[in-house]
Amino acid sequence: MIPPPLALLAELTYRCPLRCAYCSNPTDWRRYGDELDTDAWVRVVHEAADLGVLHLHLSGGEPLLRDDVEPIARAGRDAGLYVNVITSAWGVDRARIDALAAAGVDHVQVSLQHTDGARGDAIAGVEAHAHKLAVARMVREAGMELSINVVLHRGNLACVGDVIALAHDLGAQRIELANTQYHGSAFPHREALLPSRAQLDEALATARTWKARLAGRLDVIYVVPDWFADAPKPCTGGWGRQFLTVIPDGTVLPCAGAHDLPGMVFDNVRAKPLATIWRRGQDFERFRGTAWMGDPCASCEHRERDWGGCRCQAFALTGDPAVTDPACAKSPHHARIVAEREVAREAPPTLYRLDTTRRRSAR
Amino acid sequence: MVPSLARRARLRWDDARGTHVLLYPEGVLVLNPEAAEVLALVDGARSFEALVDALCEAHPEVPRETLDGDARELLEALAARGFVTTSAP
Ligand code: SF4
Ligand code: SF4
Repeated sequence: MIPPPLALLAELTYRCPLRCAYCSNPTDWRRYGDELDTDAWVRVVHEAADLGVLHLHLSGGEPLLRDDVEPIARAGRDAGLYVNVITSAWGVDRARIDALAAAGVDHVQVSLQHTDGARGDAIAGVEAHAHKLAVARMVREAGMELSINVVLHRGNLACVGDVIALAHDLGAQRIELANTQYHGSAFPHREALLPSRAQLDEALATARTWKARLAGRLDVIYVVPDWFADAPKPCTGGWGRQFLTVIPDGTVLPCAGAHDLPGMVFDNVRAKPLATIWRRGQDFERFRGTAWMGDPCASCEHRERDWGGCRCQAFALTGDPAVTDPACAKSPHHARIVAEREVAREAPPTLYRLDTTRRRSAR
Repeated sequence: MVPSLARRARLRWDDARGTHVLLYPEGVLVLNPEAAEVLALVDGARSFEALVDALCEAHPEVPRETLDGDARELLEALAARGFVTTSAP
């Protein structure tokens, strides 16, 4: 019996006004332009709840570019789901925040790029920082839970302590400091984003100090980058075990990064019930459990802990999505990761995605 | 002392898994039946003493100290994680 999924990541749109170099959304996002309409999303949310999903994550792109996030959130809340919205805060005003609260949104995650406004804006490619702080405060004033999300890389690792203090000051109960995962569009930029070991060690020590200091008031979640840990991360809790992702056009994926893998069949909610896709979809069956593994994973004692690591990373680095994640020290390709992180020491930082240098300001 | 469930946490029955769960940002706490029974009595109005009274009534075979101790331990653990708050009556 396949266990029910815990969370649905609903990527409502890939449109996004920001241009973060580390963004893990597909670089060819324009291909996914045909977005599901409100009724289709509401149906997906109901099907997910029936399947056993407990958390609904409304994400993107920038989900709030759609004007129907509220009815979708309401459907989730009425079905008993914990409703999370992940936003860059771009273009969001108080009326919108109040509307989200009224629609039953429990928790809003606001992304920050840096504590320093100018540097944050340089990373995001738009002027947004001051506005993000204002929106974060509005979230609290509207009575919703607030998390601050920061994606870490060499350009902002030094501000880890400051950003934790800032999150606390904004009234967040949770801050998630996640080191960049190097697949999707972050991969071609890895030389500019990868920090040095010394930077990482310092940031980790700082995060630990703050975590202890604010225990019980602010949850500090610090995600160690797997390229440096020599141990892989379980792919979203194991492929097809806890999460499912529905992307803007209705395609269902075991993980948000999986579009780029070769050999995917891409089942779509327009054609099949979500439950059928979760239980029997080929994409979900493909790397679920341990049967697909070869060595070293197949004979490894950790195979049900990290499930062989990330399939996207395996593919990005070796061309084969079915091999051991090279982040694992047991992978024959691990030298590739070691070589990449050596390169990181030398490369100059760049802050933009290559596809644009356009600047726009937030409302 | 009057315990209440923090706004960030929501208690519900999960049909798919046949258990009570506590939902909170980015997480799910699966509750055993004993914990769920205690939490169901946490409503922001009932005092801790009244909560233990209710448990005693439901489980006359269990000594009061045991029920009291277990409930206290549970609520303290949940308070440390920010899921339960307490106020003076
Ligand atoms: S395979 Fe897993 S770890 Fe890799 S991108 Fe997809 S979800 Fe993330
Ligand atoms: S060999 Fe495979 S299962 Fe073992 S630790 Fe490495 S990735 Fe995980």
